[in-house]
Amino acid sequence: MDYIINNAYVVDPINKISGEIRDIFVSNGRITDEEPKGAEVIDAGGCLTLPGGIDSHTHICGTKVNFGRYMSPEDMRAGRAPRRKGMRAVSGYSIPTTYGNSYRYALMGYTTLTEGAMAPLEARHTHEEFKHTPLQDGLILTLFDGDWGVMRAVASGDIKRAAALIAWRLDAVKGYGVKLTNPLGAEMWSWGKNVECIRKPIPDFDLSPAEYIKGVIEANEMLGLPHSVHLHCNNLGKPGNYTCTIGTMGLVPDLNEKRQTCYLTHVQFHSYGGTSWKDFCSKSEPVANMVNLRPQITIDMGQVMFGRTTTMTADGPMEFNLYRLHQDKWSNHDVELETASGVIPVIYRRKNLVNSIMWSIGLELALQVKNPWQCLLTTDNPNGAPFVKYPEIIGLLMSKEYRDREFATVHPKTGSRVILPSLDRELTFDEIAVMTRAGQARALGLIERGKGHLGPGAEADIAIYPIKPEKIDPSKQYAEIIRGFAQTKYTMKLGVMISKDDQVLADNQNRTFWCSPQVPKEYDMSKDPDLIRTFDRYYTIRMENYPVEEDYYLTKSMKIETETML
Amino acid sequence: MRRVTLILRDDVDPYLPIEAEAISPEIFSKKIDVSVYVGNERKRITDVFDIRVDGEAAGPSATEIVIVGDCHQVKRVGEYMTNGKIIVEGNVGMHCGDFMAGGTIEIEGNAGDWLGREMLGGSIICHGNAGNYCGSGYRGGRKGVRGGEIFVAGNVGDYCAECLFGGLVHVKGNAGIHAGSNMKGGKLLIEGDCLMPCGDMFAGEATVYGHVTDFLPTFKETGTNIEDGHHLTVFHGDVAHRNAKGTLRVGSFDRI
Repeated sequence: MDYIINNAYVVDPINKISGEIRDIFVSNGRITDEEPKGAEVIDAGGCLTLPGGIDSHTHICGTKVNFGRYMSPEDMRAGRAPRRKGMRAVSGYSIPTTYGNSYRYALMGYTTLTEGAMAPLEARHTHEEFKHTPLQDGLILTLFDGDWGVMRAVASGDIKRAAALIAWRLDAVKGYGVKLTNPLGAEMWSWGKNVECIRKPIPDFDLSPAEYIKGVIEANEMLGLPHSVHLHCNNLGKPGNYTCTIGTMGLVPDLNEKRQTCYLTHVQFHSYGGTSWKDFCSKSEPVANMVNLRPQITIDMGQVMFGRTTTMTADGPMEFNLYRLHQDKWSNHDVELETASGVIPVIYRRKNLVNSIMWSIGLELALQVKNPWQCLLTTDNPNGAPFVKYPEIIGLLMSKEYRDREFATVHPKTGSRVILPSLDRELTFDEIAVMTRAGQARALGLIERGKGHLGPGAEADIAIYPIKPEKIDPSKQYAEIIRGFAQTKYTMKLGVMISKDDQVLADNQNRTFWCSPQVPKEYDMSKDPDLIRTFDRYYTIRMENYPVEEDYYLTKSMKIETETML
Repeated sequence: MRRVTLILRDDVDPYLPIEAEAISPEIFSKKIDVSVYVGNERKRITDVFDIRVDGEAAGPSATEIVIVGDCHQVKRVGEYMTNGKIIVEGNVGMHCGDFMAGGTIEIEGNAGDWLGREMLGGSIICHGNAGNYCGSGYRGGRKGVRGGEIFVAGNVGDYCAECLFGGLVHVKGNAGIHAGSNMKGGKLLIEGDCLMPCGDMFAGEATVYGHVTDFLPTFKETGTNIEDGHHLTVFHGDVAHRNAKGTLRVGSFDRI
């Protein structure tokens, strides 16, 4: 089906279109310059029209998410909706069913999702859940934070071997990029400890997190991967961790012209001052300044919003500390030679001082990072809040009045620990468009794949929101902004109308993007005696059974072959 | 005073569950002709029960419902009731008295699983046995029964009074495994024996007059007392939990 979208208020930062009334032509799933014949005409009526939303860091598929589901059957009491025409029954709030995730994202205008952390050994499960997330394209970041092979290679200074190992594993598990979660923390956690200082080498490997991060960044660039290293820094959630975050940012060289060299995720959780929970305070200012000084870094907010949610991360020791704080349900896992994980449900409360400060920090980061391309909007779904809170965050960022009103309802001592009330900046529609799709497309290297923009040749991922930017003042009418971003009028993905108002119209539109770096023969690790020995001695599964079968697990596989510099 | 008598029809398939949350004094004080789900089909209540109505309704408090027949497959009787009375002359199915906030349910036969789940007030008297999760919370939820009284004259199944938060659960007979686990308040009294009770107890009082098999090692002995002629050993716990404030009294026990 071809479409003509008339009278659209287009904001397309990649093509430098900032709020023009235009017509958009869609033919064969792509955006074209020429008016297609016999096309269906949609009148956008001056409504805000953006490229399809891209979430650059979310947890919606995989074993962690599923473990959250079976730990919290009570979560399924919320968000229940019966089966409707073309829609399955769904349930769940912070960890809904895969269809629940997919429908809700589609209604918010999102067409591409990045699973933030997949343990390589659990790849099959992750792909199976993506198979049942019907309305979004999926990218899967693969965890390398405790990979023994890569750790040994980096420790011995052989970055090319590290790159080759990463290439083999990405290709085997059909991953898109490299994720480091609390680098080397999983290995320390095997001994009941955690990484405290990024400069201190860990025992047995004689390798410090700083060396490891630098080595993996170098290897990542050698492989020519579309996305940079996706880094969850050490010491997440510890008071005073901002020094560690800034120290980590200082390690990042500038190696890539097209995009950042390192993507630091959920930085809100890494911008804490103080020495304990008693004198806990915001240190968003030095962190944001560091980002402003270093264009090779992109961060995402990891905004916390009040309410019930579930935290899940590959950062095992952090989740254990959180458990000791909350004394509620808890799980920790160890994934053989690769990584670890932990899941616990939490409730963020306005009455809680620490939670109120966390809420402020996320917003402060977004308001203080000058370049919106460097600070993307996420909640680290569902760690900070379920993604259905995105519209509220947009409202907060666009309206100082709304921020002040909300600020009046949080813990009364928050004002002395944060700087949020002093920030007057109100983001524009252009900046919101960057922070929710264009910035993500650039950060993930998806612009070349035709995502995140509406130029000719781009994939026709289009979201039309019931907001008329010419007739609305976001700083006053934030309620309309929130309502508008919560549900599109139309969401289109690759030229297929996937939702209209609250009705989902399509199924099976998902594809999985994954990278296969083309390494020279001498770096083909599938024949590497060391790797084979590692599998034989330490893994519970044989090396030949390890790779995920493309035909069986990926229904619509989008293989990206990259040229490497090995 | 209105008295509604529901007599289960003979032609009802005993293997098809019936979702009958409409059987409650609130609804019957207004109208009788309600619908229920039989399996996956919506049916009128008259397809399931023969109904006799005596007297005029004067609000839920003056409404009494009598259910006659073996209604072991009739679920959610008295859900959300706040007043009035339900008398079940035979057995009743799962989820009887869920969320009830007031009034009385009296069951002459046996009750199914989840009797009085997340109850807020009122009382349930069961003269027979009750199933699993009697007086418990939702799976995975944090607060279970918050008020009211449940009395079971017979035995109960597993996970009795799980996450108990307030109110009283009184079992005359024996209980299965994990009675009172995750208790956060309220009182649990089991006059018979039970197996491994009160794991991860935060607060509240639990008493077992009989014998406890597989007593958990995470309870600290603090003394003895005599209650109602039973010599009991008093424990504090569950100390696996930080700041535990629970009290567990047992007649006799063998450790796990």
